[in-house]
Amino acid sequence: MDRRRIRVLLVEDEEIHRVVARAVLRGAGADVDEAENGAEAVRLVRERIGGGGGGAYDLILTDRQMPVMDGHEATRRIRAMGVATPIVAVSSDCLPSDVHAFTAAGADDFTPKPLTKEKLGHILAKFQLA
Amino acid sequence: MQRTKGYLDEQFCQIEDLQDETSPNFAEEVVSLFFKDSVRLVTNIEQAMEKYPEDFNRWDAHMQQLKGSCYSIGASKMNNECTLFRNNCGQENAEGCMRSFQKVKREHAILRQKLESYFQLLRQAGPAGTATRPAGK
Repeated sequence: MDRRRIRVLLVEDEEIHRVVARAVLRGAGADVDEAENGAEAVRLVRERIGGGGGGAYDLILTDRQMPVMDGHEATRRIRAMGVATPIVAVSSDCLPSDVHAFTAAGADDFTPKPLTKEKLGHILAKFQLA
Repeated sequence: MQRTKGYLDEQFCQIEDLQDETSPNFAEEVVSLFFKDSVRLVTNIEQAMEKYPEDFNRWDAHMQQLKGSCYSIGASKMNNECTLFRNNCGQENAEGCMRSFQKVKREHAILRQKLESYFQLLRQAGPAGTATRPAGK
């Protein structure tokens, strides 16, 4: 029986980081949706759980600094919708205060940029998505 | 890849590992994206330093973006110079920022030259060539 491909939402405004993360995720067998800011991410999550989008994402990876809506606010709004999907911050802001701000917003984990195969492997194992 | 030793770290090898039949030139595409981004970011920093003297927070914010881009391709030497610039911002040392920014620009130019040569050599070598991982990794 074929394993279902995991569905990941990648939230990142910088193209180069999206390109690299997309390749890492697809290499791991994931189906990837992309949002360039937090507002777009919230919209995609809402669509997914709204019944027309095939169910919730298995994993959300989000940057912090983005135009329109940042990663902290997007995380808060996604949690406010009652979505329990693991949210992992992938950010170059790595101070303890940055990590704490993300977890306070509702993120489950934090990893510094860039996303690598190894980091993704740890994330997938942690949330039993491997 | 010996000629770029010290300029690029393991992340670059990871980028090359992402190449496959469907994306045989992935590394070169990512590097092109990096230079498209980094040229813009260097210009932004230059303009910020001219238009907003001693606005260290602004300078730092711009440099943080450039650092992020450096991480994405493993541009470690350039990344180190970006860090020194940010340290100078933290110390509100405008002269130090000017000096370290010149070093950032120099490393950027050197890296571009080395990577252009690298990909040219790869094209001549054919599909089997990629970066060599450091021994023991």
